[in-house]
Formats: sequence, C-alpha cells, structure tokens
Amino acid sequence: MPYSNILKDHLARPRNAGELADANRVAEQTNPACGDRLKLSLRVRGGRIEAARFLAYGCPPTLACGSVLTELIEGLTVDEALRVSRAEIIAAVGGLPARKTHAAALAVETLHQAIGQIHRQV
Amino acid sequence: MDNSATTPVDRRVVEAMMPYLTEKFGNPSSVHFYGQEARAAVDRARREVAALINARPNEIVLLSGGTEANNDTVLITVMLANNEIGTVQPIAEIGTLVRELRAGGRKYLWLHTDGVQALGRMPVNVETLGCDLLSMSAHKLHAPQGVGALYVRRSVRLAPQNIGGHQERERRGGTEAVSMIVAFGTAAALAREELDARIAHMRALRARFEAGVTERISDVIFNGDTERRLPHISNVSFRFIEGEGLLINLDMQGVAVSTGSACSSGSLEPSPVIRALGRGDELARGSIRFSIGKDTTDEDIDYVLEVLPRAVENLRRLSPLYQQAIAERACTAV
Repeated sequence: MPYSNILKDHLARPRNAGELADANRVAEQTNPACGDRLKLSLRVRGGRIEAARFLAYGCPPTLACGSVLTELIEGLTVDEALRVSRAEIIAAVGGLPARKTHAAALAVETLHQAIGQIHRQV
Repeated sequence: MDNSATTPVDRRVVEAMMPYLTEKFGNPSSVHFYGQEARAAVDRARREVAALINARPNEIVLLSGGTEANNDTVLITVMLANNEIGTVQPIAEIGTLVRELRAGGRKYLWLHTDGVQALGRMPVNVETLGCDLLSMSAHKLHAPQGVGALYVRRSVRLAPQNIGGHQERERRGGTEAVSMIVAFGTAAALAREELDARIAHMRALRARFEAGVTERISDVIFNGDTERRLPHISNVSFRFIEGEGLLINLDMQGVAVSTGSACSSGSLEPSPVIRALGRGDELARGSIRFSIGKDTTDEDIDYVLEVLPRAVENLRRLSPLYQQAIAERACTAV
C-alpha cells in the first residue's frame, strides 16, 4: 500500500471538507464498481470558482483526490478548471498506485458534472 | 493492535535461540558432538510443540510456517479459529463426524485444521479436536517468522513435499533450521505455561477496549460471535466510513491495525468474512481488526481509545453517507 506522504497528509488533514451553504453548483458521483462517492459544492461568480468544498466516502485515494481537487480549482476560471486533468490530480497527491487511479477519474468526472458539462473521455 | 498479523519475539525466546546462532552451530544429521547437540535441541523443541497441542513428538513435522503446513492435499479443512473475527469453529464436532464416516468405510477421509491463530490463545488439544492434521506457525506465538510445524496423526501417511533428505522422518527433507526450531520450542513451552494468564490478560484488555469504543463512538458494530471467539481479536465495523482510511489515520498516530477489505482497480472486494455474517458492503468496508497481544498494556488500550474516536470523527465529517444520516435523523427528531 505505497501511499505518498502527501496523500496521507490530505487524509489526516483534509482541505476544504464540507459543503457550502451558498453553493450554486453541486454534484455527486458514485463509482458504480466500488461504491466510492464524491460530492463537490462550488460557489461560482463571474465565471470564476470562488470556493470549493468536498465530501467523500471510499478508499484513501478517493478522499485525497477530493481534497486536492478543491485546492487545485479554487480561484480558477471555469474554463481553466475544466482543463484540470487526472494526471494533474494524481501528481498533486504525490502519485497513486496504478489500481487506484480511478479515484482521480472520479474527481474529474464530479468536477465536470458540477460545472455542467458531461465529461466523455475514451 | 495487530497481534493477529504477527507478534514481537519474546526476549526469553531470543535468549534461548542465540546459542544456536553462535557457538552451537551443528547440523542435527552430523554424528559428532556438534551435530548431536543440535539434534538434542531440535528434539527438545519438538517435544514442547507436541505438548502444546497434546500430541506425540513423532507426530510433529517441523517446517517453515503455517503456509507450508497448509500445503497438503486433504479432503476436509476448516480453520480452528478465524483470523479476521476470531470465531472458534466447531472442529471437535466435525472431527466426530469424520471419525464416524471413516468407521463407515471412508478410509482416507482426513480432517485438517489451521491452528495458526488459535495457538497460544486458547487450549488446543488434538485428541479433543479429533483432527488428523493441524498447522502451526511460530511467529504468532512470540517466536521468529520462518518456522512452524504440521501435526500429523500417527495413522496419516503424507507424500513428502521436500525430497532429497531424510529429515523429519522423510516427510520434509532439508537441514533443520536449528535456532529457529529452538525458538519455536521455547515459545511453545512458554505459551503452555502462561496460557491461562495470557488468555485472562487479553480478554480483560479486549473488554476494556470494547467498552471504551461503545462509550465513545456511535454507530459501531462488533463482528463475530461474542462468546465463541479467541480472546485477543476485536473486529469492529464503523458505519459511514471505509476501513483503509481509518487504518492510515491510526498508523500515522502509531497504532497498527488490519482491515479485511480491499478496493482495487475500481472494483470492491469487501471482506468475504464480514459479508458472510450478513453485513452489507458498507459495514464490510468499514471493518477493522484490532488484535491484542500478551504484552499489550492498559495504557496501550487507553491510547487507542484516545486517538480512535478522533480518527473516526474526522473521516465521518468527510463522509456524504454520514452527513445524509445526520440530516435524516434530524428530520426524524423534528
């Protein structure tokens, strides 16, 4: 179980955990295979993500990717946020074991759903 | 809190094995003094291992550990006690059934049981159990990893797995790991001598742990039979959260535990043992095994009880399942 110290730190001290009372974008995605869940709430003003909060249930990578995602996207414009990739999220948690990369995919999908674009990636 | 995985080597065991790593280095097959000294040590250890399970010394095959001991071909094999929840299986009843079937003509029906978790944690008596084969591992008994034994009842003939040497009555060729075997023998003798005290100690600590958990953490479920289980294991499902996250949180605070569930390649493999108890995926994913050892102290338990509620609370604060449950409960209360 070779998790990075960065990932463990996000697990011990999750950033931006919770929900925004004044969110205007909320999305929740479940990985149908393993049941991992990620809920994202955003406050978007003037095309910019002012605040992001997350809730997550599942394996440590899912929790850490949710935490990292909120850090990555706060302050970005919506267009910039849509360009945040799985690889970027994986790098930001200090790497993921190959069998756990689906956690980053769940984060990207939830973000795209929140922003309002259905993400289709082959 | 992970003594089911392995145990620290007892200081007395290290002292007993040290001479066989230094000046007493003989090969038990050698005829000279050094060889005979090693032979005597292996025989003494064999007697101690046999005594621990009420077997005869010549029914003990010394080998590398529990896995090797389990690698034989037999018809019926049931764990003596489950390693995840500690439930003790009715081996004696199965043993009676097997003996009846054998008397009725099924001559080659053998009963094997894996005693790795049970040894040193409950009385194990091969006569009462009625088993024909029993696997043992030394490292669960405060001896080093890499040594174990298989009990083989007198009437059972096994094909050797290691050939090329006459050791272990042709059943397991290869020069004996004398120092390791001496360690195993010493650990077995200590386990037999201290068994009642160890059981009482572990049971008391587990009661303290479970009472503390019940008092300090909501929405917990203890898994397994509360009566027929080993004294050192407490398997707990924490609702709304997943076990591996809790394991890492505890690990970062110096508490080592185990979880039976694994999520890999995006597909969930929740603990089959917890699922078999009739629990759903969420409870199976949220299960953690705490296992106490003879050297665990009241202070160790109190430390776990101090950090565990916080770790659970931190993960629950993150959990959409928990937030949903709180909201629903608030609605019900209103």
